[in-house]
This record gives sequence, structure tokens and C-alpha cells, in this order.
Amino acid sequence: MKEAGVKRVEQGVTRPAPVAVELDGAPVMAHPGETVAVAVLSTAPRFRDDRSGQARGMFCNMGTCSECTVWVARGDAPWRRLRGCLVPVEPGLRIRTERPEA
Amino acid sequence: MSTYDIAIVGGGPAGLAAAERTLAAGLSICVIDEQQRPGGQILRQPPATFSVPGWLGGAPYRKGRALLDRVSGDARLQWLGGRSVLGVMPDGEGFALTLSGTAGGIEQVRARRVLVAGGCYDMPVALPGWTLPGVMSAGAVQTLIKAQQVLPGQRIVLFGTHPLMIVLAQQIVEAGGEVAAVCFAQPFAAMARTALAHLPRALRTPGPLLAAAAGIMALRRAGVPVRYGAQALRCEGTDAVERIVFSNGESIACDVAAMCYGFLPQADLIRQIGAEVRWSDPAGGWEAVHDEAMRATVLGLYVAGETTGVAGSDAAMAEGALAGLAIAQDAGALSDGEAAAAIRKPRAERQAMQGFIDLLRSVADPRPWLPQPEPETLLCRCEDISAGTVDRAIADALEVGPSFGASAIKLRCRAGMGLCQGRTCEHALVRRIASARGCREAEVTGFRPRFPARAVSVADLLEGAA
Repeated sequence: MKEAGVKRVEQGVTRPAPVAVELDGAPVMAHPGETVAVAVLSTAPRFRDDRSGQARGMFCNMGTCSECTVWVARGDAPWRRLRGCLVPVEPGLRIRTERPEA
Repeated sequence: MSTYDIAIVGGGPAGLAAAERTLAAGLSICVIDEQQRPGGQILRQPPATFSVPGWLGGAPYRKGRALLDRVSGDARLQWLGGRSVLGVMPDGEGFALTLSGTAGGIEQVRARRVLVAGGCYDMPVALPGWTLPGVMSAGAVQTLIKAQQVLPGQRIVLFGTHPLMIVLAQQIVEAGGEVAAVCFAQPFAAMARTALAHLPRALRTPGPLLAAAAGIMALRRAGVPVRYGAQALRCEGTDAVERIVFSNGESIACDVAAMCYGFLPQADLIRQIGAEVRWSDPAGGWEAVHDEAMRATVLGLYVAGETTGVAGSDAAMAEGALAGLAIAQDAGALSDGEAAAAIRKPRAERQAMQGFIDLLRSVADPRPWLPQPEPETLLCRCEDISAGTVDRAIADALEVGPSFGASAIKLRCRAGMGLCQGRTCEHALVRRIASARGCREAEVTGFRPRFPARAVSVADLLEGAA
């Protein structure tokens, strides 16, 4: 899989300490205030596969195109399909790029 | 349920300027926005948990930032961030707005009047390879930097026709990123000729022109190549974009290719309410029709900013002020005399900007330079419908008769039926239908706008109705 080229800007930016979220079963560190989309992007540019199995990424980062839609669950709450660019991470948040088992 | 005098949809420059005027008139208001914090896309704020002391320090942002500081600190403003507006329905003497949380949940608010200041979004342009991860809109790269303080790639190419690329390239460089190239599809001579023709009127507001000139100099100092006449043909890569290929055969290696061909007004809500819209030149999409005071064609509905045609944040602030004053006047909170005196300044400011707006629209006009999809290129990214499938549906529809619109094509091939509700592909369908019918885009009817304006779970809707 394609590696992430994402870089957090360090100079002139102070972030809170990162927290662990779960992405496709693996732990990923993200800073509170970062979006689910950035948490995904920090591991790889792929957000999902389309109907023909081609990798797809985020496109607009402003809630308009829905390309960053992933499955998200807070704690034991049910999975929801949400636009990742609009949802801030929180500790223990679970994210799936593929449909979770019910 | 809360009832406000005015519900403002969109917390960007237009919405905030209207909020300032309506608060000053003593009206109760709420501002609804999908982002957590106010500012809109142009002033997309970092999360409250971050500290970014140098955030958007440049001169072009100064006026907007001052407005943001004034209004977002006002305790009377009811800020409803992190919420999408799914629908606006007439309700007695006002409107009922159905909102969904961006992380789930449904709520309703009622308002006597509604201002839609929904802003705009980057025109999505279908070229071969554009569905590869790493191909994104210029606005995506810009908002990732502004708000998340993240560079989405190590080597970024900007391509398109819009001079915003100059600003964005500078922001990438300042954030420590690498811009492999800025590629304008237009030849330099054509851009210069167009700009010169508009220059005398544009110089009434010289600020943006000076900023653009300074931006080009800054890119030169930073060693960023700016190319003209570089028309993008396709993006290539296996699991993600690896290069972008131009019509002269040249290819540039990159891990992000960001397109910048102009901006479409956010028009879902005004169309859903039944307000009159018109095709928005030059980039396309639908802009709200309004009177001099920013009243839309539905009683109690007002519009301001990019929703009325993309013109930039200074124009949005002036229009927001005009809309706020009209709302206060119509609500009886300002006398006709007070309103007439107060509108003079924002109206004069808005008129003075028109020269620069016309210059920018002409220079950035994407229409002669839009890359073309191949038959297998997806036009509808949500339902994976290719340009070839859309064109076959258009050809079939033409055999039945010449007066069909975008909805007829949607029914034939599912383009526009997915999560984005057509925001990505509608403009492309309209262009292809107009071309096949031999008419202007303005004569093609767009998708029939429906509730909900954003995707929402059925479980949430049922819960909200209970």
C-alpha cells in the first residue's frame, strides 16, 4: 500500500498531546482537534476502494464531496457513516475504511 | 424548539457580517455551520485545542479576521457549529430548519427569516486519473494547511486556471512544503491581455492586485516554477497519484495534484426552498437571484456572499452587511431612514470591487481550458458512473426529445444519485447536455433539489421525527 506523505507543520504550531484512535483495527496517534480525515491521511492516502476495487482518497476537505466518508464509532455506540473531514478525533474513537461487521 | 428572528446558514465572511448588523439591531440570531468554529473556508480556523499565533497573518485576511474577532466574541450570537442544514421548510410566518450533527443526531430550529450564506466549493473537474488518491481540490490542500496545519503530500503540483494557485503555493511554501510547479493552463500573453483590459476599473481596489504581484515575486524567490500554457491532460499512478501529464507531453512527479479551475456556489438550500437561481458564469453552478438588498425571490429568504455568485470574501462581507441591514429593516428593527443611511457604505464598497471581480473572473475563466475525461473516466465519483455512460444516456434522451435536463440523465444512469447529491457531477452533466442539445448551460434544468441537502442516516431521521 502507498505510504502517507502527510507532514504536520511543526513550526509555529502547538498541539495537545496525541491520543490513540483505532483505524481498521490498528492504533493510530492523532492530536485532539484533528479530524478523522487527517487521522486516516496520516497513514495512507487511500480512504476506500470503489466498485471496481480502485483506491480512492479524499477530495474537497469541506464537507461537500463526501469522498472522505468512513465508518466511525464512539465507544460502544453503533457505527455511523460520517464525513471524516468534519469529525474531530477523540480518545478511543474507532474508524473503519470498510464496512464493519455488524 | 427555539425560534430566532433570523437563522444564518454559513459562518463565513458573509454570514458574520450579516450577524454583526442584525445583532446591532437587537435581533435574536443563530449561525449554523458545518465547521466547529466560525470563519468559513477563507478563515478556516485551527481547532480550539491548537495554538497557531501566526495564523493567516497576511494583509488580504486582515479585514475578515477583524470581523471574525468582533462577531465570534459576541455572547448574544448563538453559534450552532458542527451542524449541516438538511432542509429549510416554510413554517407559519417563518421557516423550520432541520439540522444534522456532523457526528450524528437531528435537531430543528425555527426562524422568522433565513439568510443563506453558504459559500462556494472548488469546481470538481473530471480528467483521466482524477479518482486516484492524492488528486484533490486546491481548497482541500488550503484548508488542510489553514485549519489542520497539515501538508497532505511531500511534492504538490497545482494545476488549473485560477490565480488562487499563487496564494496557495505561497501558503504551502510557508508551511514548509514543496510545490513542484504551479501550472496555469492559459498562456501568459492571454492572461496579461485579459487583465490589462480590466485594469483601469480593477484599480479602484488595488489591494488584491498588489497581493497577487507580491505573491508571484515571493514564489520566484522561493524557486517555485510557475508555468503558463500548461494544460493538464491526465493524472497517473497505481494506488495513488504519482505524476501529472500535460498536453505538451511533459509529466511532473508528485504525490498530490491539486486542481484549481474556479468555484461553484453552494446552492442546495436555496434551490430546495424554491428560490430562483441562474447559471453562474464563468465557472458554472447555480447562483441565487436577489434584489439590491440581497432579498431572494422567496419572502423571508435572503442571500449573501458566494451563494449569489463567486466574488471573494471582501464582496461577501459587503453583501452580508447589506443583507443584515435589509433583514433588520424588514423586521422593523431599523427605520427606513436608518437603513438607507447605513447601506450607503457597504453598497459603495461592493460597487467599487466590481472591477477587480470582473478582472478575476475573466482571467480565471476555465471554460476554454477544461481538461476532458476519457469515456472510462468517472464523472459521478459517488456512483462510479463514467463519462461514456453519461454520454450514452444523453444520446438516448436526445432521441426522445431535445428538452431534457440533468434529472432525466440521473434517472437513466444514476449519475448524481450518490452521497454528494450531485454537487460533484451536476455541473459536468449540465455542460455535456448543453453541448449535445446545442444550447447554453443556462437553458438546461439542473437536478431537482430535494431534502435532505446532506446525507443523513434513516435512523437519525426517524429519531428526529419521534
